Amino acid sequence: MKGITNVTAVELKLIMRDPMSAFFALAFPAIMLWVKMRNDRPLPGGLPAIDGTVPMLIVFVIGLAALTILPATLAGYRERRVLKRLRATPATPTLIFSSQWAAHTLLAVIGTALLVGIGLAVYGLRTPGNLGGVLLAWLLGALSLGAIGLLIGALVPGGRTATVVGLSLFFPMAFLSGAIIPRETMGGSMRAIGDLTPMAPAVQALRDGWVGNPVSPLTLGIMVAICLVAGGVAVKAFRW
Amino acid sequence: MTVIEIEGLRKSYGSKTPVEDVSLSVEKGEIFGIAGPNGAGKTTVVECASGLRDRDGGTLRVLGLDPRTDRRKLLQRIGAQLQEAALPDSIKVGEALAMYASLYDKPADWRAVMEEWGLSDKRRARFASLSGGWKQRLFIALALVGDPELVFLDELTTGLDPSARRTTWGLIRKLRERGVTVVMVTHFMDEAEALCDRMAIIGQGRVLALGTPRELTEQGRSDSLDEAYFALTEGAVA
Repeated sequence: MKGITNVTAVELKLIMRDPMSAFFALAFPAIMLWVKMRNDRPLPGGLPAIDGTVPMLIVFVIGLAALTILPATLAGYRERRVLKRLRATPATPTLIFSSQWAAHTLLAVIGTALLVGIGLAVYGLRTPGNLGGVLLAWLLGALSLGAIGLLIGALVPGGRTATVVGLSLFFPMAFLSGAIIPRETMGGSMRAIGDLTPMAPAVQALRDGWVGNPVSPLTLGIMVAICLVAGGVAVKAFRW
Repeated sequence: MTVIEIEGLRKSYGSKTPVEDVSLSVEKGEIFGIAGPNGAGKTTVVECASGLRDRDGGTLRVLGLDPRTDRRKLLQRIGAQLQEAALPDSIKVGEALAMYASLYDKPADWRAVMEEWGLSDKRRARFASLSGGWKQRLFIALALVGDPELVFLDELTTGLDPSARRTTWGLIRKLRERGVTVVMVTHFMDEAEALCDRMAIIGQGRVLALGTPRELTEQGRSDSLDEAYFALTEGAVA
């Protein structure tokens, strides 16, 4: 246990020391929030834009940390033989995975706190109507997208490839799933395609919970399933 | 007391068999050298003994454990410095030592290790900013932070300038004084002569000669270990 908290703390520091990761996970979503809120019209259906936009961008942050930064870190460690050195210690693949997941999830926690803080302070964001549902949706979103990120990191050979693969999964997914464009304004076919992406359940669950609706068990179940399948394959595929 | 007992070790990758048949033993508290031409199987022997690779044949006991079945227990008790291994660029010396210490059940006090190996002034330096000599010093410290009984050092001084090599030799002698058994792979006969109590010369996957540096010099009918090395490995260059 001491190992995992220690490794996680160091990994989080290393992420924050990289100006690119810090910018993309923290500053970039905040800028997107500002850009989107310059046109502060209620969403179709009457929801104040901020109450839809903050949960959307929260999933954006989770996805960015889990799908692009995490795989690049993990694959970069393999490429540079950082993992090879760790293999000669009592560190286990489980420890590597859990600490990488935890560190990047903490990055997403900071990004989330920043978005919520700005939303509350500047744009009159409402606090979540169903806080339990929001927290559960957040956690399952981080677990399911994190498991996919670990899988990419386990499969691709190097850090650059991981960034390319991660970004080319992340951006289409973020657009189609409604993490950038509100689902309400998307066409039916686009939304249908987006619903097939692993980011869609996180967007739906988080937005439902935020406005105080119950979170659909099916949506949560899909995220659990993604986490188990992608995580399981990642553990099998892992190479030091 | 025997710390490492290797009998008929064999390891192949596909059609290549870098280790055909290696037998040797290492006693507690000695510095044991492994030398030989490139591709002779030195690193493979070390990797099998330290639990990083599984063998294809032969028996292997390290600290009374079989690296194949007791790998996790063994990794708690050994330290390793590996060829070409690295740390993240932006990790600081103190962070690396504290983090590696936290991976072991019964680690050494990482601050004491840092102090002992002269790294305290570099505590806040990032890995990428360290020179080759300081990196090697950090790698030795990382190999020791788990308070191991046995340490593997693979080509520790390759790429170091002469004065950094000398300093590193002093550090390795210090390990022996503390009762740690050291197995080191080296290409340099002056290094083997200066440090090793006993050594093995390996070629084409077999032990070509085994003994103290003085015995090997005599065995090679030479005036120096350097010349003896060439005499003993003649025809075994891969």
